[in-house]
Amino acid sequence: MNITLNGKVVELSNDTVSIADLLKKQNVASPDMVSVQHNNEIIAPDQFERVTLSDNDDLEFLYFMGGGEN
Amino acid sequence: MEGFSTRALHGASRGRDPHGSLRVPLYDSVSFEHEDSCSIQQAFEGRRPAHTYSRISNPTVDHLEQTIRLLSGGMAVLAVSSGMAAISNTILTLGGTGKNIVTTRFLFGNTLSLFQKTLLSWGLETRHVSMDNMGEIDRAIDSNTCCVFLESITNPQLEVADCRAISEITQQHAVPLVLDNTLMTPYLFNSRENGVDIEILSSTKYISGGGTTVGGIIIDNGSFDWNLSEKLRPHVLKYGPMTFIGRLRHEIYRNVGACLSPHNAAMQNLGLETLSLRIDKSCDSSLRVARFLDSHAKVRSVNYPGLTTSPSHLTAQKQFGTRFGGILTFDLADKEQCFHLMDSLHIVKRATNVNDNKSLIIHPWSTIFTEYSDEEKYDMGIRPTMLRLAVGIEDTDDLINDLNQGLEQL
Repeated sequence: MNITLNGKVVELSNDTVSIADLLKKQNVASPDMVSVQHNNEIIAPDQFERVTLSDNDDLEFLYFMGGGEN
Repeated sequence: MEGFSTRALHGASRGRDPHGSLRVPLYDSVSFEHEDSCSIQQAFEGRRPAHTYSRISNPTVDHLEQTIRLLSGGMAVLAVSSGMAAISNTILTLGGTGKNIVTTRFLFGNTLSLFQKTLLSWGLETRHVSMDNMGEIDRAIDSNTCCVFLESITNPQLEVADCRAISEITQQHAVPLVLDNTLMTPYLFNSRENGVDIEILSSTKYISGGGTTVGGIIIDNGSFDWNLSEKLRPHVLKYGPMTFIGRLRHEIYRNVGACLSPHNAAMQNLGLETLSLRIDKSCDSSLRVARFLDSHAKVRSVNYPGLTTSPSHLTAQKQFGTRFGGILTFDLADKEQCFHLMDSLHIVKRATNVNDNKSLIIHPWSTIFTEYSDEEKYDMGIRPTMLRLAVGIEDTDDLINDLNQGLEQL
């Protein structure tokens, strides 16, 4: 499955099902401090586990702290 | 969850340092290098979590922000150059021309000056109310109110506002509740659990570790729906729940330039490690010193929220438990006696600050509030007979002996 993350096409492995999985795969240190847009809709942090990804989805991660990448 | 002190020491650790350093290094660098042009573009767009320029973010400052976030339970934290910068950045984010702030008339002197003088000239009105009069607060709020602004303990009047009760009113009006929690810190008072939306700290005080450095903190507790804010609503689509902190980080704070120096952040990272120990000592000593002063024949009156005679004692007990902060005030016969006592002290220093490791004394009438008329000072609860004592962490008996020898000279 391919998605677009912050303007770049990313190929996801089969175990990346949800937004929470994607945040983990991207090594985001503080996932609750990232603003996530999924197909132009803001997703609240408490929905990261529930929202599942599909082929050709468009995601935007917006960071508020300068650092945080492992 | 681990205890406060353990979290202060270990909580915000982000893996092993390349050299095994147990302390977050002081990154005294203005700029940060990036792998390639795409990486730096994405960092500027906020689409990659990387530092670019220390006016916007810095690794040492970031560690302070993450530790405060962990200790407070807030959603997002921004460190700035001073407590006043924290207040001004917050108001610039929430307010604007034609808006108003509802607040107590017992504000810290510089905050009052910011509201009544600096911001007034930009068209922002300040409405003063009694914070123990819920009806008055309710009536003062209207559709142009950008926030209700409180201090957990006012300085130096030492009035304690009932945050939970006031938050019920702000929630009814869909107005954010902003609290300056400097004198209590998240160690003594959890603002998030008491209905506060935005918490402000002057980290210059307890957090700096002993009057080492100037700094400020803004905490978004994540409790306010920014769709309800006329000014911030247009930004919700981009930032979602992070709208307040997003607009701050990516616009107001960046453009105003009131960034915290990495050196100050390093000192405050160290200060946080001993915060609970110092606060415990300062509060315990404050209560003993207050009781001593209260029993002394030369002292006309003592004001400390820990004393049962304080009008705020019951509210303070409900909100803070058994610790009531490190500041007290007391009154002598006249200004001359106040000056005489100050000049006769050997351990307590004559200086303006609070929550230093050293005990400090000041005559607010002639110093902090000097820009106001006598009438205005009386209105603000400032008297020429009043001294403010900020109790440090010296041995309590030595503080009492120092005050006693000074009082005996009067």
